[in-house]
Amino acid sequence: MRPFIQRTPGAGLPQLVRLLSSTRASANAPKYTSASAEELAHFNALASSWWNVDGPQRILHKMNLLRMDFIYSTVRKHLQLNKPETPLEEEIYVPPYSLDLLPKPIRLRIVEDQEMRRDALLNKSKLRVLDVGCGGGILSESMARLSFVESVLGIDLSSDVLEAAKLHKGKDPILGDEKLSYQLTAIEDLDASKKYDIVTMFEMLEHVDYPAKVLSEALKRVEVGGWVFISTINRDFVSWFTTIFMGEHMLRIVPVGTHTLEKYINQHEIREWIETNQDVRDSFKVVDAKGCVYLPAYGWKFTNSPDVGNYFMAIQRTL
Amino acid sequence: MFGAVRRLATAAASAQVSRLQDVVIVGGGPAGLSLLAALKSSHKTRHLKCTLVEGGSLDNIRTFGEDPPENYTNRVVSLTPQSVEFMQERIGSWQYINQDRIKFYSSIVAYDSQEKDARIQFDASMTDGNGVLAVMCENINIQSLLLSRIDEIGDSTILDNTKVLDIVHPNKPEINHDLTAEPQTTSPGLDWPIVQLSNGESIQTRLLVGADGYNSPVRKFSGIESRGWQYGRFGVVATIKLQYEDYRSIGWQRFLTTGPLAILPLTEDNATIVWSSTPELSDILLKVTPEIFVHLVNAAMTLDEVDLNYIYGVLKKDPTDTSVLEEIEWRMSKIKLSELEEKYPLPVSEVIDKSRARFPLKMSHADTYVAPRVALIGDAAHTIHPLAGQGLNMGQSDVAGLVEALEKGVERGMDIGSTLVLESYVSNTWPANSMLLGVCDKLHKIFSTDFYPLVLLRGIGMKSLNMLDVVKDLMVKSMAR
Repeated sequence: MRPFIQRTPGAGLPQLVRLLSSTRASANAPKYTSASAEELAHFNALASSWWNVDGPQRILHKMNLLRMDFIYSTVRKHLQLNKPETPLEEEIYVPPYSLDLLPKPIRLRIVEDQEMRRDALLNKSKLRVLDVGCGGGILSESMARLSFVESVLGIDLSSDVLEAAKLHKGKDPILGDEKLSYQLTAIEDLDASKKYDIVTMFEMLEHVDYPAKVLSEALKRVEVGGWVFISTINRDFVSWFTTIFMGEHMLRIVPVGTHTLEKYINQHEIREWIETNQDVRDSFKVVDAKGCVYLPAYGWKFTNSPDVGNYFMAIQRTL
Repeated sequence: MFGAVRRLATAAASAQVSRLQDVVIVGGGPAGLSLLAALKSSHKTRHLKCTLVEGGSLDNIRTFGEDPPENYTNRVVSLTPQSVEFMQERIGSWQYINQDRIKFYSSIVAYDSQEKDARIQFDASMTDGNGVLAVMCENINIQSLLLSRIDEIGDSTILDNTKVLDIVHPNKPEINHDLTAEPQTTSPGLDWPIVQLSNGESIQTRLLVGADGYNSPVRKFSGIESRGWQYGRFGVVATIKLQYEDYRSIGWQRFLTTGPLAILPLTEDNATIVWSSTPELSDILLKVTPEIFVHLVNAAMTLDEVDLNYIYGVLKKDPTDTSVLEEIEWRMSKIKLSELEEKYPLPVSEVIDKSRARFPLKMSHADTYVAPRVALIGDAAHTIHPLAGQGLNMGQSDVAGLVEALEKGVERGMDIGSTLVLESYVSNTWPANSMLLGVCDKLHKIFSTDFYPLVLLRGIGMKSLNMLDVVKDLMVKSMAR
């Protein structure tokens, strides 16, 4: 068994470095993003019950609510209110200091103006989304229904699960083919010249053998100003206890065999990986990271520590 | 080829191609109209395609704004400041209210028939309603303002004079005798319910909302159980005239063992009564002549139960026996005039012709308000004893809760018919409704007894409660949620 955290001075981030080693990657697996054969078999078996919101994937359906909150609030908060070409009289006042310093009526007025501009900007937006590891399409469908999303492409390597996704898409007439499509492909096989405004990789990095490679493939496909949203699990005792021991074995709210502790990735490892890669560091920044926890009888809830258990991360391409 | 056959078969099964809608609301009462107006007023949900279906005609509601009937209609309801605020801020419909036909109350006085001094006064100063404790207005006035708001926004369909003939589930597995056939686990078609209408149309809807009252067909379709009981009492309503206009802005309610009797003054000399009564008494109240009815109301607001029972006895034998008029006058004459003026409502002088009606009282509460692609609001979800005037307000708070859940669902890109979206509506409204239903049910039970120790106890309770502003405060706030 592998120790919890393998850290050797100089080697940096063993988990990610191991996975970055391209020689090993090409020798062992045909696809960087490919989950192992066992992982694929596991998800194929879940295909038929994927969309039963009271079934084995209920916890994932509940988590999707929080994912959407995270994506919506991040995108909305970081809209560029004033473009360089915006005429002066139409500019929204963005004070260069904290709004809390202003008297309440003025503050409310400024916030209202900003919110109205945000609504207007979102209404005009037509974002293109790539959902990597879309599974049965829980997130893909939600993204496709948003008014400011033009199209969603969901990709996965499990054909059975993708069939479930395609079947379920037919149950909602607003999800036409131009809005939402699915493809059985690995991310590195997608045309890299085609860029997306949002690339999502939720509950996915912990299931692939070469997460760093997958991450860099995702970053390659993001438009300037666009976003990569990821979520995965910190490799620590709390995660093992909540996701595997309690989730899979005690409460049985997660199908047994869904998780493998050794594949979990710590939040700071991703940050450090970005910092150590020259080309990535210059054009991407981690804008936000939030921890989250599942409370039975309540659902998912954000925590104030992204270093424990599950977490979401938003990375924006700045250049 | 096989695909074509299957398509033909489905087409034959549903007989007619269904129109698709996002939300179909069954029922054009205040709850249903309010939901439609609220959905169309919210910038997050206004893109949803909505249809409201009402079995009756809405013509009298449409003409009410321009040309209201001379006398008040007999269905008058009490609105809490919260309901008014909801209609002002969220729906933007309050501007359409017929201002000449509403009355603002600053207090409500409740007193006991068996203990003269047991009385309790609720004041507006206890709420945040800007000096208003409740607003009394006609049901039709509210429907009218909601309809005006819906017409103003446009972009939604209202089908009145249209009955729901049947609601069917499209994928209901038909009994299959062919055992060799593969069991079909997932159907490629929509799993949305189909509403078949009396105009020949059928609508397939993402979300079906039952605002269709106590016997809700939508609730029956969804399989949600509703539990409760009949009180074995009737609510008798009537529109009346007082001797002169009551300038006090006070509503009055007297707890009799037969049930509470409320006199609720409206504008000028108008007022309405709600008299919860036993089946026997309600028979008498509907049969007696207008003159006797007027005296009976005055008597029931002031005289002792012993006197009342004697008078009821006389009238039970002969509802036209005018000798009771003298009886009542003689008994009333023994009460000091100053006391009558100070502690009791103004005397009633007239009852409007044909305004007397009765309806059975019951309490019921659905186990939950949602099922996949179904939500219940208003009386379809709960019915309450009218003694606290909360029925309509509960419906409005349902609407507020449901719209909030749907807005959140849209923001999250969810299918708004999914229970994942609807669940928060139940968790935000069910517990508070359950508490309110329980409180009103207990109040009814405590006051409908003449068992002396309990009478004594409730007298002490009311008197001490009246002095305990903190507790009263809490009661008013929770009622005026």
